[in-house]
Amino acid sequence: MGLTGLLAKRLLRSVVVVVGVTIVTFATLHLGGDPTYLYVGEHASAEEIAATRVKLGFDQPLTTQYLRFAHGLAHGDLGDSLTFHEPALGVVLERFPATLELTLTALSLALAIGVPLGVFAALHRGRPLDGGIMLLALLGQSVPSFWLGIMLVLFVGLAWHWLPISGRVPLLDPLFAGDWRTAWTNLPQALPFLVMPSVTIAVFSLARTARLVRSSLLEVLSQDYVRTARAKGLSERRVIVHHALRNAWLPVLTMLGLEFGFLLSGVVVVETVFSWPGVGRLVFNAINHRDIPLVEAAVIVFSLLFVSVNLLVDLLYLRLDPRIRLA
Amino acid sequence: MNLLTDCERRGIRGRMRSNLKERVRDVALLMALACVACAATCFATGATGATGATAASAATATPRRVMRIGIAVDADSLDPAETDAQDTQSIAHLLWGTLYKASSDGKLDPYFAVSAKLSDDGRAYTFKLRPGLKCENGAPLTARDVAYSFDHPADPKLKFTGHAAGFVLPALRYTGTRIDDPLDVTIQFAAYNPIALGLIAEMLIFCRAPYEAMTPEFAASHASATGPYRLVEWRRDDRIVLERNKSYGLPAPPYDDVVFRVIPEASTRTAELLAGNIDIMSGVVADQIDAINHSGTAKVESVASIRRIYVGFNQKAKFSDTPGGRAIKDPRVRRALQFAIDVPTLCDALLRTPCARMATMIFPPNDKTGIRADPYDPDRAEQLLDQAGYKRGADGVRFALTLQTPRGRYPNDVNIALAIAQYLGDIGVKTQVDALDFASVFVPLVRKHDAGPLFLMGSSGASWSALYDLADFPAADGGANYTDFADPEFFAGWQQIEQTHDPAEQAKAVRAMMNVFHERGTWLNLYFLPDLYGVSNKISWQPRADELIVLD
Repeated sequence: MGLTGLLAKRLLRSVVVVVGVTIVTFATLHLGGDPTYLYVGEHASAEEIAATRVKLGFDQPLTTQYLRFAHGLAHGDLGDSLTFHEPALGVVLERFPATLELTLTALSLALAIGVPLGVFAALHRGRPLDGGIMLLALLGQSVPSFWLGIMLVLFVGLAWHWLPISGRVPLLDPLFAGDWRTAWTNLPQALPFLVMPSVTIAVFSLARTARLVRSSLLEVLSQDYVRTARAKGLSERRVIVHHALRNAWLPVLTMLGLEFGFLLSGVVVVETVFSWPGVGRLVFNAINHRDIPLVEAAVIVFSLLFVSVNLLVDLLYLRLDPRIRLA
Repeated sequence: MNLLTDCERRGIRGRMRSNLKERVRDVALLMALACVACAATCFATGATGATGATAASAATATPRRVMRIGIAVDADSLDPAETDAQDTQSIAHLLWGTLYKASSDGKLDPYFAVSAKLSDDGRAYTFKLRPGLKCENGAPLTARDVAYSFDHPADPKLKFTGHAAGFVLPALRYTGTRIDDPLDVTIQFAAYNPIALGLIAEMLIFCRAPYEAMTPEFAASHASATGPYRLVEWRRDDRIVLERNKSYGLPAPPYDDVVFRVIPEASTRTAELLAGNIDIMSGVVADQIDAINHSGTAKVESVASIRRIYVGFNQKAKFSDTPGGRAIKDPRVRRALQFAIDVPTLCDALLRTPCARMATMIFPPNDKTGIRADPYDPDRAEQLLDQAGYKRGADGVRFALTLQTPRGRYPNDVNIALAIAQYLGDIGVKTQVDALDFASVFVPLVRKHDAGPLFLMGSSGASWSALYDLADFPAADGGANYTDFADPEFFAGWQQIEQTHDPAEQAKAVRAMMNVFHERGTWLNLYFLPDLYGVSNKISWQPRADELIVLD
């Protein structure tokens, strides 16, 4: 199969996933009871409720309702949020930069710290350094994010006054609006607010990355081509960086796509603890208020993003590993 | 003599080049790290510098008085025709005025109006507006604006569902306005309503011209104020910043700026209060009361709010299929169960705040019925159940019931329900607790009058009227009569109230209605929910029963 065919196949698969997500989301939310009650006042009579049900089409079969929803989705119209009385998609996109900011920072932290830690652990296999790093990784994977967040708030924020406890200074919002000057001006104020939430969210991924890099590198280091590289007299650094790590990256890259989704889903708790005004909190509140259009919009935006990132990972895979193209 | 072959020389040169490249890379890496360190220092200096600059300017200029309030939930809308949630109402009452306003002790005082006159037939109120009122843009606020403030939310085409359109106007049975003069406006309604003035006092007054120019979507997030403050910024789910409204025609408010910070997590809110970053926080949770009170920087202020917490006995026919459902249709059983619950102990143990048991559904300062709260007396409860014919069986159980409760809607609601089940179990009424999600499961059940047969519920009343507190029971088939209570003697009281405009006669009718309600044991009365606020020691502020955060 040629590269174009491969790409088309991946794209088609992504579309199927997104359609599947819309069906599951729609069904889950609409099977939870009659949504008509969300649109009428507390003192509405039975006649008013019945009239509203007909007007909003909730008396129609679920398939008809889904087709209408899909038609709206194709036109970028997911209805108005019940709580905000504004287009649901707009409300989600307004919060999106905050969540992306947090997710990208956490992912960068996980990679910037997790990869070197994994490499160090692999290079010092069986030694105290390896044991120490793996112990830390185990702790990082065991600590619940809400507990870690509250501890950071209590100690780093409240007791030691090192960092602000909660809140956010916008960084990506002005950047998305093309106002890089404001983004640059906001940067010094925004960074201190970013530290605690992004560390909280990154700790699990960081630990997982370190463990994966270690095991992946250990496997590669025992390969013949690494021995050959050493026998050629190449420096150990060159052997590690150019020969071993390059191949050890492949499973890490696979994980990266999944990790992005994991971080996105993990923001709900962290955004709540640190009062971070992102999509995670928005979805949480929308579920509590049964704001169906808002939940649908958020799930669809998240799924599109997740699918896009994984598509990108697939493309990178094709670029990094020619065997996949040839297979 | 040349000891090395060309190939070997190329290999050595290659390795030298490679070593050189690595050294260059090391240097670049070090430089990059140095740059990051420098940038971090610059940011830190920048942040400190900003603070320093603020401090310097503060030293030279008069410092602005800023009130910072931590709330759990963001505003639902800043459209005055659409605002609904309680936290939003606190913000709305800073942005917009009302014709009358309720004081902290439950009196209705003139605000934008200087007087109100009820028509002879009792179906209209004429208000004389205070001269000198202005819109945020400086234009005079007139009777036309007041009329618009009622007509706009009432417009069915606009489908508003907030507090005004969803509750106040239907309860008022609003029919229209009449502009008599630039400063005189008459609000008309279909029938005499003894609580009309209080309902009108809940309607926000806003200016016609700016809102006619806004789309509903724009109005939801932008405000054109008439009250003491104007909107500066609303960062959704983060903060709402208000500043003093220079066009406000009444005495200036005490603070230059008011910042509402949205902090959903209670422990984070507490941390911000203790760190001195906010001055007032709403929704203190029970386990943080001691931490705040012992901090030395803040204290907890509590107030018995107008929100009544009770257990409803659902008398709907569908519950008659079960022995428990049949049992609670008997008023003697419902009366008996009142004596089984030790409400003050519930409050002490689970809310960590003292509270008295609710005697009637009327907010105590307005309760002139003379009815006293039932004491905790399990022996009497057992005796009454025996007399009603519900004796303990061989297993010690008289009958079984299910108590449905929302999860997380009211402070410690599930544990309160479990404790009630324990108390009922002690007198032989085996009670199973079903904790349900509030929005998706509990509310639809309650709205359809299908919750129960026992259900834990909270219902808001008013600080200014006993009659308002009876509004859950406008008729036997009323939407908010979730228990399907249908005693004709009780509902006949409404006719007496409507037929007389004399407050003393109305109070007499209320007393009679409440006696029926009490004797029939319609609700299992619990308590008026204590509201807990964290207040910085730097300020003096008292909470109000009506759950509004008022800054006077």
